[in-house]
Order: sequence, then structure tokens, then C-alpha cells
Amino acid sequence: MKALCLSDVSRSFGGLPAVDGLTLTAPAGRVTGLIGPNGAGKTTVVNLITGLLKVGRGRITVGERDVTEASASALARAGVARTFQNIRLIADATVLENVVAGFHRHETTGVLSNLFGLPSSFAERRRLEEKAGALLERFGMTAFAAHPAGSLSYGHQRRIEMMRALAMDPSVLLLDEPVAGMNDSEAHSLAEIFRDVAGQGVAILLIEHNMRFVMSLCTHIYVLASGRLISDGDPEEVGRDPKVIEAYLGS
Amino acid sequence: MKFFLSYIPLFELALFNMLLAFSQYVVLRAGVFSLGTAAFAALGAYTSAILATKLGMSPWIGMAASLVLGAIAGALVAIPLARLRGVFQALATLALVQIMLSITLNWVDVTEGALGINGIPRSVGLFGMFCAVVVVGYFLAVIGASSIGRAFDVIREDETVAVSLGISVPKYHLIAFILSGSIAGFAGGLHAFSSYSITPNEYGFHMLVMVLAMVVLGGRVSVWGPVVGAAILTVLPELLRGFQEYRMVMQGAVLMFAIVFLPRGIVDTAKNIWRARRVAASEAAKTKAVTV
Repeated sequence: MKALCLSDVSRSFGGLPAVDGLTLTAPAGRVTGLIGPNGAGKTTVVNLITGLLKVGRGRITVGERDVTEASASALARAGVARTFQNIRLIADATVLENVVAGFHRHETTGVLSNLFGLPSSFAERRRLEEKAGALLERFGMTAFAAHPAGSLSYGHQRRIEMMRALAMDPSVLLLDEPVAGMNDSEAHSLAEIFRDVAGQGVAILLIEHNMRFVMSLCTHIYVLASGRLISDGDPEEVGRDPKVIEAYLGS
Repeated sequence: MKFFLSYIPLFELALFNMLLAFSQYVVLRAGVFSLGTAAFAALGAYTSAILATKLGMSPWIGMAASLVLGAIAGALVAIPLARLRGVFQALATLALVQIMLSITLNWVDVTEGALGINGIPRSVGLFGMFCAVVVVGYFLAVIGASSIGRAFDVIREDETVAVSLGISVPKYHLIAFILSGSIAGFAGGLHAFSSYSITPNEYGFHMLVMVLAMVVLGGRVSVWGPVVGAAILTVLPELLRGFQEYRMVMQGAVLMFAIVFLPRGIVDTAKNIWRARRVAASEAAKTKAVTV
């Protein structure tokens, strides 16, 4: 059970602050929301946490571990998974192959047995395909296993990304607008899965535009505007906060 | 039989080109834009030739040394180039080819300069080349289906996704460079032992462009891509022999056609089409079952 903590994290681009003094905690077993109008710096926050961008000032920790300076791939191996705002899949690869890629951090066969095609290499492939098959079933996508990922609908592609992230068996999961472009029933079925995943002790940070979705799912919500935290609290508190209403309507 | 015998040199050349194309393929599959294959091949060829002619060593030792030196050269190149991507990788590895060329041309005491090394005992024939292609091809197919191949594919398609899944890009680029260097070094050694003589200019710009063209034409995901590409671009010039001066023009036209209309290469495009058909067929079968 590991929590994600940001303390006083800042980052600017060419003197322009994109994220300014953000302090936030996403506890294990909960879905924490991060909302804000367009250009508030939400995706920058995700990129800072995952190490794709270097932190200018401040500290990021996962559990007890300081990951402020960790590289993106080291962070992922430590169990920080994410989805992307603009879906990023291997379009030519099948759905199953895309999900199998998510298991990378759990692969145990060494380089040499992979190079020489030892039985352990083949056994691992079968094992991962079985595990990926189980994920596909959970998301109701078994029928699409052999389809090229790029040929599927937007909603299905979102699910593939989600399965790939869950394949990492993460301790922290960052969801960058996971229900954008989905209808209500699709969003509802995903919400069930998120609750379920959080229930297993994963710290989920949900970045979302869809206010209703965030309100229904999150126990605690942070509101970002122009890179600064303007409000935080439980869904009701945040919903009533005049600063939040102004930030959303004013943009 | 006589007809077949007269084509043996062509078959040997095709097999040699397939090995070079394998070396180019493995880096492109991993998303590394390396042009170093010609340099690694030169290193392997000269290693084998020098060991055989100056030290009188057996071809087996020569080829093993070529393979190992190729692998070491690949590793040494990968480390300083780890931070480079795309066109910068291409330029840096192009420089490697130039460096190798100037060494083989100017270190006359060892390499005999522009005259090249002659009188290498011919100890590898068509069958030996064929076995080498089968072994390397099988090896690459196994690697491609393993965790390494999966990591290569993700890195090539989207490096940001790769790192966010925990894939260490420098590690897999290093593996790709070592594989590319060892395959090209081995190919160079085989070439030296199958062609009596080697000269520096064989391993220059012409080889670099040709090998790259083979993989672009054939495809860079399936291991059959480089095989098909090398076969076509070796046989095509022979078929166009009658056209003499238009030969290069027609070869260039074929390549441009492939890049514009088959950007994934012949084999990978065919594979995608075949898979799409199969999926469509299974869909159709399902809807039929539902309506009935």
C-alpha cells in the first residue's frame, strides 16, 4: 500500500510557470481527483509524476521512496502506471499484443534465455498471454483479442490503454482523461472497474474534465487553475467553492 | 544443372545480402536509425581476411573472431550514441562507415590499402552461406517472439509509451546494436571466405544504401522482410541487365514506389492485409451465426 505525495512541486517552461507550488496526496485504496479548466497544467502534473518532465522544484514520493529524480522507466518499474490523454497504442499490433506489452515490468526471463530462445522464454510468453486474456475478459474485450488495436473504436482503444496500465499491476495509477469521448454507460462501467482497482489498494489519481464523473468517483478532489491549486476537499465542498465555479465559468 | 551452376555466384550474393539485411533489420526494428552495418561488415571481413592470409588461421577462428569483434564494435558504438535519436543516429553511424573506410584504405601495412586483400582461401560455399542465413534468421525469429522483440516493437512505435511501461530504452538499443554488429561482422567474415578477395570500397556508401533499401522494401517487423527485400534487390539488377544504363533508374523507381505505396514494406503490409481479412472473416461468421 503506497501513497503518492507531491510537496510544493513546481515547473516552468521558459519562465512561464506551468505548475506552481502544487502539494497533493493520493492515498492508497482511493480515487483522488485532479480537475481544472483547459490549460490548468493537469497533464504537466502527470508528466512530472511519471518522470517524462523534470521537476523544477519540490519533491515527489511514492510510499517511502523519493522519486523526484527517477527516470521515467525506473518509475514505471517501481509501479507507477499511466494512461495518455491522446490514446497511444501500437496501432498495427493486436489488442492482445498491446496488453501483453504492459507486463514488461513483471517479466522474469533473462536476456540470455530470450536471445537463445530457451523454453523459459516461450513459457513466459504463454503465461503473459493467459494473464492478458484474463484482463480482456474483465473488460469484455475477449472477442477483439486478435483485432489490430488501431481498427477499433475510440472507446475500445481507451479500454486497451487501461488494460495495458493494469497489466503493470501498479501501486499508483494515473488516469489522464480516461472517459473523454465515452458515453455515460461506458463511463459507468469504467467507474466500476476503477473502484474495484482502488479497492485492491492502488492509489488512483484521476485527471478528468467530466465533473459528474469525478464527483461520483472521487473521495477527495484537487482543483488546479493556471498551475496553482485553488481548492481542495471532498466533492461537495469543491462543488460549492465559488473560486472553482469562477475558474470553470471564467475560462 | 549447368544453368543452375552459372547462377551460384548470384545466389551467394543474395544470401550475403540477406545477412547484411538482417543486421540492418534488427536495429530498425528496435527503432534505431543506424547505418553502421557496412562498417561492421568491413570490420568482420578484414578481421577474417587478415587472420587467414597473414596468420594462417582456420576459417572457423576467423569467422568467430569476426562475429565477436562485430558484437564488441556494436556495443562500443551504442554507448556514446545512447542519447541520439533518428537522423542524428544516422549521421553518427554514417561517420562510422567513413572512419572504417579510411582505416581500410590508409592503414596499408595491415589492410593492403585500396588494392584490398587477395588470395583468401575460399572455404565457404553456397551451402555454408545458406546455413548461415537459416541459423541467423531462426535466431532473429526467436528473439523477435521473445520479451526482447516485444520491447523492440514498443520502442519503435512509441518511445514515450515504452518508458512509461518500464522499458529501458538504452538497454534495448544496446542489445540491438550488439546483434546488428555481430550479424554484420559474421556476414563480412563469410564474404571474405567466399570471395577470394576484399576491397575497401565494397563496404562503402553503396552497400549502406543498398542494405537500407532492402529492409525498407521488405519490411522491418517480420523477419521475412529483410529476406524478401534482399532477394528482390539482388535479383532485380540481373533481370534488368538488358536495359544497361537504365538499370539504376528502374531500381530507384521500384524503391520509390515501395516507399510511397508500401511504407511498411512488402512483407509487413501483406501480413497486415492477411490478418485484417481473417478478422473480417471471423466477424462475418459471427454475424451469420447470430442472424441464423
